[in-house]
Amino acid sequence: MKRICSLSSPESIVAVLSADLLVQILDHICDAGDRKTFRLVCRAFLSAESIHRRALRPLRRETLSAVFRRRYPYIESLDLSACPALDDAALACAIAGGGEWRRLLRVGLVRASGVGWKGIEALVEACPLLEAVDLSHCCRVGDREAAALAKAVELRDLRMDKCLGVTDVGLARVAVGCGKLERLGIKWCMEISDIGIELLVKKCRNLRALDISYLRVTNSSLRSISSLEMLETLSLVGCRFIDDEGLAWLNNGRNSLQSIDISRCEKVSWSGIASVIEGHRNLQTINMGDCYTVLSAPFLSQLSLIKPTLKMLKLDGLEVSDASLDSIGANSINLVEIGLSKCRGVRDEGILKLLSCCTSLRTIDLTCCHLLTDHALFAIANHCTKLSCLRLEACSLMTANGFEQIVKSCSELKEIDLTDCDVTDTTLQCLSKCSELLVLKLGLCPKITGKGLAYVGSNCRKLQELDLYRCVEVDDDGMSFIADGCKKLKKLNLCYCIRITDQGLKHLGCLEEIFDLELRGLEKITAAGITAVSMGCKSLVELDLKHCSSLDDSALFALAQYSQHLRQINISNCLVSGLGLCKLLGSLRCLQDVKLVQLSHVSVEGFELALRASSGRFKKVKLVSTLRQLLSPGLLQMLQARGCRIRWMDKPMVCP
Amino acid sequence: MDHKRTMSNDVLASSCSFAGDQPRHLSRSQPSQQMCSKSFNVDDQTEQSWLESLPPEYPQSLSLNCSINQIVKNATSDWDAKIMLNNLSFLEQKIHQVQDIVRSIICQKSVTSPQPNDLAVRQQLLTTDLTSIIVDLISTAGNLLPSIKNNILSTNPPPEELYSHFVSSTISKPDAILPKSEELPLEKEKDVSDDEELMKSVVDCSGKLYDSLHNEDHDIKDIEDCTEADGSYEVLQLEKEEILAPHTHFCSICGKGFKRDANLRMHMRGHGDEYKTPAALAKPSKDLEPAIIKRYSCPFVGCKRNKEHRSFQPLKTLLCVKNHYKRSHCEKSYICSRCHTKKFSVLADLKTHEKHCGRDKWLCSCGTTFSRKDKLFGHVALFQGHTPALTADEDCVLATLEHGNGKELGIEAEANRCDLTSDSLNDVLDTKIFDDDRTYLSALSFEPNDYGVTDEFMKVAFGLLENSSSLYPPGHFDFVQKYGGNPGSGSFL
Repeated sequence: MKRICSLSSPESIVAVLSADLLVQILDHICDAGDRKTFRLVCRAFLSAESIHRRALRPLRRETLSAVFRRRYPYIESLDLSACPALDDAALACAIAGGGEWRRLLRVGLVRASGVGWKGIEALVEACPLLEAVDLSHCCRVGDREAAALAKAVELRDLRMDKCLGVTDVGLARVAVGCGKLERLGIKWCMEISDIGIELLVKKCRNLRALDISYLRVTNSSLRSISSLEMLETLSLVGCRFIDDEGLAWLNNGRNSLQSIDISRCEKVSWSGIASVIEGHRNLQTINMGDCYTVLSAPFLSQLSLIKPTLKMLKLDGLEVSDASLDSIGANSINLVEIGLSKCRGVRDEGILKLLSCCTSLRTIDLTCCHLLTDHALFAIANHCTKLSCLRLEACSLMTANGFEQIVKSCSELKEIDLTDCDVTDTTLQCLSKCSELLVLKLGLCPKITGKGLAYVGSNCRKLQELDLYRCVEVDDDGMSFIADGCKKLKKLNLCYCIRITDQGLKHLGCLEEIFDLELRGLEKITAAGITAVSMGCKSLVELDLKHCSSLDDSALFALAQYSQHLRQINISNCLVSGLGLCKLLGSLRCLQDVKLVQLSHVSVEGFELALRASSGRFKKVKLVSTLRQLLSPGLLQMLQARGCRIRWMDKPMVCP
Repeated sequence: MDHKRTMSNDVLASSCSFAGDQPRHLSRSQPSQQMCSKSFNVDDQTEQSWLESLPPEYPQSLSLNCSINQIVKNATSDWDAKIMLNNLSFLEQKIHQVQDIVRSIICQKSVTSPQPNDLAVRQQLLTTDLTSIIVDLISTAGNLLPSIKNNILSTNPPPEELYSHFVSSTISKPDAILPKSEELPLEKEKDVSDDEELMKSVVDCSGKLYDSLHNEDHDIKDIEDCTEADGSYEVLQLEKEEILAPHTHFCSICGKGFKRDANLRMHMRGHGDEYKTPAALAKPSKDLEPAIIKRYSCPFVGCKRNKEHRSFQPLKTLLCVKNHYKRSHCEKSYICSRCHTKKFSVLADLKTHEKHCGRDKWLCSCGTTFSRKDKLFGHVALFQGHTPALTADEDCVLATLEHGNGKELGIEAEANRCDLTSDSLNDVLDTKIFDDDRTYLSALSFEPNDYGVTDEFMKVAFGLLENSSSLYPPGHFDFVQKYGGNPGSGSFL
């Protein structure tokens, strides 16, 4: 008793748990919320957490340098993608402000559209050990930025997806400067051609992973890529100019390749993939979805060459007969994941044959295999006891009987997608016995009522994601069950669940961890409900309120007041005025993505003022195209100069 | 007699004699070899002859006429047995004539030492006749080069095949005709080289003679080249004029020139019904010489494409000859209208260049420029550390600095220059943004009237936003945060 009393004072806790012990404890705490609780215990815990912390994801650029300098000396990865209005000056300022930049190994700048070559140059100079940089979706990044990046000689991992300005020259700069590159993603860098790829391959001989999806490269690129000796992962999604001849270059027996993604390559057929298999007997994953090819017998027998290693096979959109499934099963016994999304001809018999061989399957995607019935579920239940993810969207012939079997034998099930499966409350009663469930998708199941959700709430306590899109019978009671049971919920989709009112939202207010909330088309909810949500859901980052036609300015005031972490909001078609908008955009410091289409009660001046109030921290704004002429050019220029992308929607502007 | 054209130079005049004149200095009296030139007429054609007197050690000197003779008039490539027979008998006659001349020389020699003038005249005659024999031989040998037959003006070095034919045809009696010449006085020739064209031909002649006699390999090769039977190719050599002539096909009736044989054949229809037959209009068949592959030699001696070159590489087609000669041995008269520096001798080359000139200048970090990206990338791949330079670096920066949108860049540029200390940055941010970007960024300077905003609205709006610093630009906020201290822990998830 005495001991407990003494432990209640912070000093004595520290006496028992020294800093190194605390750090060891922290090794086992992964969840962000738990860590937050941990560091709020006392000063010693806070400092232990600071010492232990390796990754940082600042939400405001203003505090970046100060916090960085003062509290976290051992940061290795810094994710700046959530920082609003991060531009070169801010980055340079933060770097100049001090801190252990020299230790940084990884920097994330996803969608940091304001950062240009000056910022990157300063960053690279400050972080000599930089190993990984992610510049994905920085659409304005071009050759100059790539050239600045090329000074990071230690760089091993670089993602530049959708850096639209990067050309062969930029790629060449990176290839020459960063010879140690091991992983490179240049998806959607549409200016890069064969010449750039050829040079890259010549200069970066250690490449292990390469993503050149959607590039306009031809077979000659594959020819040079085939000379990479260490290559393990190759993504060629949507490469329209690549065909079997190019894939034949990979038939060189280097054996290093483990994963290939050739989905959406229009010109590739089974023979090309067969030649890849022939050259690489250690292939583990093959994605050949949407390839406009047939699964011919020679190809399927070719799979036997990689029988021991093949782990994942995706055949989305292909014609898959019972015989092919039989053959796949016989030739790939160690399959862990199979994708048969939108495959035509998939029937119960085929699934039965496939599964009788592949017993180690963990992920099964049967999206839109309309012909499947409970028999397929029985087969899954019989053979795949380790199943963790099952996608059955639009398999409407399945009933509660089948799911009962699944639940009985697949105790590890974590994710199930039953969108458009005509799920009833009875089915939910069966499913709720899966206590490990993390993701449950029940969209377009109009038969679900609050009763069914009561089962979910009572048993699925670990649930993180729940999709109830257009479950029109779901009401406030259902919300109360969910709110009571699923405290870990992070994503909740309630779009068009039209019976939900403010009362239901008040229940949701106790879900503190909720991150993404979609309330589209809930016409009954008012400011009171939104206030409850914004006060309760402290982690709210994304909010969709489109077509919530009863909402007015006071809802926005509440959001502006309480939802300080809100990053993305959609308030299109709401009855808000310029005033509310102004307050909302002006107050929320983290807000980066706003959709403001068809706000009939907001005048042009209101838009003007509200957008100015945002002081240029937006990355994406959606507006009605008529505003293009009405807003002042200076404002638009300012927004764009700060890296904001404005999408103009062609909708008729409704005048108040 | 065109003294002016051929010999305008004193040095040359001193060592050469001209047609019609008596040679003023006999070359024999000099220890070294000299070149003499003489021109005279054969078959109403102006011709030049190059006389070469040999050192006294070799009494049986030889003069060689290296001229082009227009003997074959049948410009069509049709093979005519009648003409052939005529030519052969004509040849026979000529050979007899030559034999007579040689005999007379021998007789004179055995009796008395001949007057130098006399000997020279005989030598000239001999040369002329030999040349015409050679030309006849070629023309009768079968298909003539389509361009030779059109040659009228021949102020130039003769086609080389004359020599090779000469060598091969006279090899049976080399003692009688061919001299055993020694090294030629090249230095002298250099001195004399004011008239470039002339000198070229002089060097040409002597060099060839020398080669053909003293370089056995070359001899054999020449013979091989010319023996069409042994399966190798036939080497043809056009003259400069022919190469540079705009037209290569001439009408045998009216003399009109054409670029293409097909056009000539079309033209020929106008000259009579006999040219309208399908046979006449058809492409000349190649049945006559199926085995012979034609290859071409460049007339420029010393050129690798010249067949006298040690590692001779023949040109494949007439077009190759034309382009090669123009590119390598002609003045580059086409100047690029964009850069005014690049010059070309072939019009097509100019056009190709103009397509790329001025733009797409691909620059390497080492300073080398390339007209094509793939060339630059090939270069970069080859050299360690080289990297493509960004196009128009300075322009880019200047443009953004000048442009309103790029103000931040300007600020940062300045910030980067001053050591990136936080103070300087803050100064920059606080001052620059407020000064320059007021119109864009500062809501304080927001003029309601600009947008027709009512005063009431503004009042309400500012009242609402009173406590919020959100209307301040980000730089200001930075400042507030920095110096107001207190960065809350709530900013992190």
